[in-house]
Amino acid sequence: MTIPLLICDDSAMARKQVFRSLPQGWDVAITYAKNGLEGMEAIREGCGEMIFLDLTMPELDGYSVLEAIRQEGHKCMVIVISADIQPEALARVTALGALDFIKKPINSEKLADVLRKYGLLA
Amino acid sequence: MINSNLAFSEDQRDCLQELVNIAMGQAGDSLARLLEVFVNLSVPRIKVVKRAALVSSLIELIGHQNLVSAVRQGFHSQIEHRDVRGEAIVIFSDTSFTELAELLAYEDELNEKAEQELLLDVTNVLSSACLAGIGEQLEIDMGFSVPTLLGQQVKIDTLIEANQAWQQALLVEINYSLDNRDFMCHLVIMMSDFAIKALKLRVDQILEDF
Repeated sequence: MTIPLLICDDSAMARKQVFRSLPQGWDVAITYAKNGLEGMEAIREGCGEMIFLDLTMPELDGYSVLEAIRQEGHKCMVIVISADIQPEALARVTALGALDFIKKPINSEKLADVLRKYGLLA
Repeated sequence: MINSNLAFSEDQRDCLQELVNIAMGQAGDSLARLLEVFVNLSVPRIKVVKRAALVSSLIELIGHQNLVSAVRQGFHSQIEHRDVRGEAIVIFSDTSFTELAELLAYEDELNEKAEQELLLDVTNVLSSACLAGIGEQLEIDMGFSVPTLLGQQVKIDTLIEANQAWQQALLVEINYSLDNRDFMCHLVIMMSDFAIKALKLRVDQILEDF
């Protein structure tokens, strides 16, 4: 079944990097968002069953997106992909409901490892 | 007008910003470990500014014209077999030395000399980690000079007067702040026209390989 996947990052290069790291043949319908506000719109429209979320973004940052997802009661699997590699950042996003955390720069191995961990990839 | 050779295209700016973002995160982590607190990061900003506009850009970045302290660290590298030099300046605004001393578990009397030491300690961690991170992303080797004090509780414009090497500068703005603490610092990277051109070539290569 096709998974609605949202890639939310303010950098075009970072969005492209995530896209290029996706496992081959993975059945996803991708939506892109340039900041948290755009991301929330996409989530409300059902485009974010799975979300790859940056933290440091203009308008609305990744932490606020996680809070909004929880407040509005959306069922999303969120994997944070961020350059903010402080252990405390990981603790904060996990507390806010993120599934896992990938340190930037992302690559296909790092992503595949995390997806396998949650049974999302054979 | 900025010389068109020096202006960044949207793709170039986006690429460099993301590379800086990653380096900023690494340096933020080093700072967090040094101070044992969580460091708030914001989106880095990148722009080319003329010397004449530098002071006003810095005032805009800092958000006021109160006294600040600053430390500089020079760096050098080779891009395409040509020497490239620049400097990073860490500007401390709205920073309480008492709190900084507390965070760094500094127990001696807090005089001007001790305050300088605190500034140099923080800069040492922040600026080398950030520059090294940017170098790593760009896949270039980078050497650093020892950080030196540029000014202590001085007006913003004196930082630039003391430091007149460039006609145009690549202003890379990175801000670090702490929750519930009077601590705010900005890292600004300045490079010569030539260094900016070399950097743009390197960014283009990265974009092409991408």
